[in-house]
Amino acid sequence: MNTLEFHDPSGAIEVKQPFAPRVSGLAGKRVGFVSNEQWQAFRMLPLLKSLLEADFPGIEVLPIDAFPQGNAVIGSEQTAAAVKQSGVDAVIIGNAA
Amino acid sequence: MTNAVAGLGLAPDAAMVTFPIEMFLPGSDISPVEARKREFYDGLTRWRSAFAADGASASPMITVQGASVEDAFARANNLMLANRWGDGLPLWPPTRERVDWILRGATQPRNHRVGIFPPRGGVTTIETCAIALAMAGGRPEYLPVLVAAVDSFLDPASGSAQLQAASGSAFPVVIVNGPIGEQIRLNSGFGCLGPDPQRPAGASIGRALRLLQQNVGGALPGIGTMANYGGVRYTNVVFAEDEANLPSGWATFGTERHAFAPGQNAISLAFANGATNIRRRGAKKETPEEDALQGMHRMADFMRVPNMPGLTGYEHGTPGILMIPGVVANTMARLGWTKASIREFLWEHSRIPTEHLRRAGCPAWLEIDSSKVVRESIALDPWPITASPDNFIVVVAGGGHPTNSYWLQGYSPGVVGRALELPGGFDELLADAERDLGPR
Repeated sequence: MNTLEFHDPSGAIEVKQPFAPRVSGLAGKRVGFVSNEQWQAFRMLPLLKSLLEADFPGIEVLPIDAFPQGNAVIGSEQTAAAVKQSGVDAVIIGNAA
Repeated sequence: MTNAVAGLGLAPDAAMVTFPIEMFLPGSDISPVEARKREFYDGLTRWRSAFAADGASASPMITVQGASVEDAFARANNLMLANRWGDGLPLWPPTRERVDWILRGATQPRNHRVGIFPPRGGVTTIETCAIALAMAGGRPEYLPVLVAAVDSFLDPASGSAQLQAASGSAFPVVIVNGPIGEQIRLNSGFGCLGPDPQRPAGASIGRALRLLQQNVGGALPGIGTMANYGGVRYTNVVFAEDEANLPSGWATFGTERHAFAPGQNAISLAFANGATNIRRRGAKKETPEEDALQGMHRMADFMRVPNMPGLTGYEHGTPGILMIPGVVANTMARLGWTKASIREFLWEHSRIPTEHLRRAGCPAWLEIDSSKVVRESIALDPWPITASPDNFIVVVAGGGHPTNSYWLQGYSPGVVGRALELPGGFDELLADAERDLGPR
């Protein structure tokens, strides 16, 4: 096997805003989904919801449609405000392809 | 996806779980979600961004494997196209060895920051430039020109922040002055804007600049740049002024525009969005004076069109770059012409009658312009296509043949100049090039 190792040419990006801190664990936490309803999200996200509920005692996973869905609305300030207001500890966003 | 995240000012390595595209198609097997559920959980609990807060992290390395060298090379090229890092032509994978070799041409540390490339906001370092030059098939002795070109490009005076994304399809034009042009085999003569296997520097440097515009600056067609046509963007335009054939008493462009000392290695960067040949010489029994004057009228008449690219840079930029070959420049110099008198002639004879502006709807463009000088120019009849004769760029370049001149239509808010620094060991790099590329 022949291996070629080379640089990613796209350069670093200046970070102006940090990502949200991670949660310490998922047991007993409140988790939400923000879905664009694309790329089989309607199948994958419910599967992930059931996996989370099975693996972490006391976790509350909100319904997939708890927040507005679709590419046109999930990036809006209104959706962000709704997520904040819901009091979730963590959010999973999907799907992109 | 990462561009979208980076565009929000976040690090581009958001916690993501990625799967092959097949899983996202109708009727797919989604069992890998369960098999890799731990990655989702880790993304919520343990994931940390690999990017430093100042964004100065080194470029990550990528590995491809192939059954043969040819296969690995093909896979690397395919991956670069899939990641939107390519231009459709074969790329040289920027391996550590090749990038380190290119960096022999650096005068600053590899992590020295040149600037931020708009609109994506990629941090551009000397290493970033070397990576692009490696991909473009470049050599270390080209790096000083590329770094100066990038530094000029990122200067706000160049207007690149707007032109990178705009629909006008502007491309950078880099004019090189000083002995470095001949030393690194930049073309200044026959075919100086086209491919030349014995003088490949301009193609590599210009292609590297284009790759930076796209890969670091995010100028992807229809996404990061709305350039309708994007002409001349594979290699941009990089050439040297033909200083060996500059008439006695004529200054180089770098000296005229930026006051660089004669013999100083330097570059000038402007933007253009058109390129055309203009037939210059006469066809019958013209005297030398008639031949020169008719050629000047033919060039000025070509510029006297109300398509308004000169509004971009009306005050401080350029309406375009006129290239005339050395044989013509020397004939004209013997008749008393200078670069300054050529610019004066072009300015005076490219003025457009107001009636022609009006029938083409141009006054509206003048009225809405942000520049007071442009708005007030509406009172001038005939209307000059640029505020001052000095804005015309006149350079001596092209093959030793009198028939044609060349006009690069400007679209350039500014014309930025930079003096070049050369690395220690530059002579060794030139000797290596003579060995590798053969006699000229």
